Amino acid sequence: MQKYISEQNLNALLDKLIAEGKRVVAPRLNAGTPLYEPLASAAELVIDRLPRRSGKEAFFPLCEDIMSYEKEGQRVELQDIDPVRFPETVLVGVRPCDAAAIPVLDTVFSWDYKDEFFLERRRKTTIIGLACTQADDACFCSAVGLSPGDPKGADLFLTPLEGGGYACEAFSEKGETLVGAHHELFAEPNGAKALPLAEPQTDAFDLKKVKQWLDEHFEDPSWDTIATRCVGCGACAFVCPACHCFDIVDEGTEKKGKRRKNWDACGFWKFTHHASGHNPRDQQPKRYRNRIMHKFKYYDDKFGQTLCTGCGRCIRLCPVGIDIAAILQQVEAKVE
Amino acid sequence: MTQAIDTSLYAAVTDAIRNEASRILSDGTVSAVIGYTAARRRGSAQPIVVSRIEDAAKLIFTPACVNNLAVYLTKAKKEVPKAGRIGVVVKGCDLKALVGLMGESQLTRERLYLIGVPCVGVLASVVQPDTELTSESIAPKCRECDAHLPAGCDYVPAQKPVTPELEKKYAAEIARLEALTPAERWSYWKEQSSKCIKCYACRQVCPFCFCEQCLCDRNKPQMVESTPRPAGNVAWHIVRAMHLAGRCAGCAECERVCPMDIPLNLLNRKMAKELKELFDHEAGFEVNEKGPLATFTEKDDQSFIK
Ligand code: SF4
Ligand code: SF4
Ligand code: SF4
Ligand code: SF4
Ligand code: SF4
Repeated sequence: MQKYISEQNLNALLDKLIAEGKRVVAPRLNAGTPLYEPLASAAELVIDRLPRRSGKEAFFPLCEDIMSYEKEGQRVELQDIDPVRFPETVLVGVRPCDAAAIPVLDTVFSWDYKDEFFLERRRKTTIIGLACTQADDACFCSAVGLSPGDPKGADLFLTPLEGGGYACEAFSEKGETLVGAHHELFAEPNGAKALPLAEPQTDAFDLKKVKQWLDEHFEDPSWDTIATRCVGCGACAFVCPACHCFDIVDEGTEKKGKRRKNWDACGFWKFTHHASGHNPRDQQPKRYRNRIMHKFKYYDDKFGQTLCTGCGRCIRLCPVGIDIAAILQQVEAKVE
Repeated sequence: MTQAIDTSLYAAVTDAIRNEASRILSDGTVSAVIGYTAARRRGSAQPIVVSRIEDAAKLIFTPACVNNLAVYLTKAKKEVPKAGRIGVVVKGCDLKALVGLMGESQLTRERLYLIGVPCVGVLASVVQPDTELTSESIAPKCRECDAHLPAGCDYVPAQKPVTPELEKKYAAEIARLEALTPAERWSYWKEQSSKCIKCYACRQVCPFCFCEQCLCDRNKPQMVESTPRPAGNVAWHIVRAMHLAGRCAGCAECERVCPMDIPLNLLNRKMAKELKELFDHEAGFEVNEKGPLATFTEKDDQSFIK
């Protein structure tokens, strides 16, 4: 079902959704930094820049309360959070690298333990994807099997057209419902050509080869050369659309407080630091090895998927220039 | 108006660094040299530890050599080779951090072999690494640099940096903030700190954040809310500014690496200004055995005691 929507009508759609009481999350500027955040109105939309952080936080916020407690004498009161109260959401302008990560996250959050905080937000969210017409030399979605025009993960997908406006196609029931409910804003295709898609310049990886090397080289001296310079911050994990480790902490006083779920990162020295004081990943190269293993081996072993969509965010932001695509190239080259 | 900045001396600096690194590795002066090397993206550079003579040829110096390599000589980075004397490529601004670390007994001069860089500037954090160096793309710290030619190194290539006069941005921004009412200033910092995601990149690159366990990581008991929420974020930024007061060497690494564009160096520069006014203390090339906040003298300003 191909449709056409003009820029003006897209804005009108967002304003209508906001007026209906839906949470519309889309790229906007926060004190100058582009982020996916709830819009107050469509005028805030800044669609031409890749947001600094990914779209995952529409389901998996940086930090959320999962319980509150109060204690007085012998009386302890626990208050659950009711996921039913999570708002209906439309996530707009999601780049293919961000959208493709969402089904990957679905798998882990609905595996042995069903994470209702994630899943309920996910059920209530419609995703409007957007094809990319610009890439820099950190982008490598096409090297991990995606493309700047890949609608994977999107309910509705927009492709910018020559002369303005977007071609619009629904890829799920949610997408069709959204178009159906606002059909007056969509028109029949006008025959305009799509703008040329971005062209990421990294050659495709043979992820099987990469995995083969990882399978056999848990211990290997090259981990040191790869990662000695890693300073152990969480920047790479925090900007990644596919990273999903979290920590749970109680904050407040002994008498009153909240239990909170917040992002964790394998770069941190505290990650897997045991209560005994022992840490199986006691040095930075071991922590970085975990990052690569998790993305290209463990996740594949367990779920048959790769935990990287090539958005390049970690490459742009790593304080010491650690480049995951360069590392994959090196690893691939080690296999005959 | 955008002014071009002449970086042609960096080619000769690169050659000189390679030759010197190869010399000190072959005659056994050092066991390793920490410097910069080219990376995959066009024009990009990254830190490298060179311990084999043949790898000295990998060293470079370009406007993308932004890191302060002093961080690799702190105990927070135990994994970097520590045996023997270590060579390190230093820009003048970064050298102040090494001097500060010596003052805090974290390093001794004899353990280091300093290859100083005549420097006209490096790129700001958000630009593509192959951007040309101009008065617009240059790192903010380079606009007010007083260390284009580092002092007291073991070796400095002969090139003389020629730099244009650039408008000082930190000084102007601090003056602007100082002119605000306390309420306006508070709301400015509240907005900035609300963006913080507690990735701790600012802490991890800072040469002076070498505590084995940061106060902000403590959870038994928790000292500062560790989640990225308003209260804990503000506390984090205040704790850091206070811990760095009188210690911060002004390398601006914390600000460069912040993925959320929080202007952290404004806090540092403001604290440095206070320290200058109250204690006549400035980060520089003199090793000070005791920092102003670690000593008491009767001349100290006591006016805050009411
Ligand atoms: S690992 Fe890096 S490039 Fe891959 S999806 Fe995550 S942030 Fe993007
Ligand atoms: S790889 Fe880079 S961004 Fe990731 S933890 Fe290490 S230094 Fe930080
Ligand atoms: S502050 Fe000075 S020494 Fe440091 S990078 Fe800039 S120009 Fe070079
Ligand atoms: S606080 Fe920032 S500017 Fe100061 S020494 Fe640390 S990283 Fe450098
Ligand atoms: S680098 Fe920026 S976002 Fe990360 S902890 Fe520091 S201030 Fe917060």
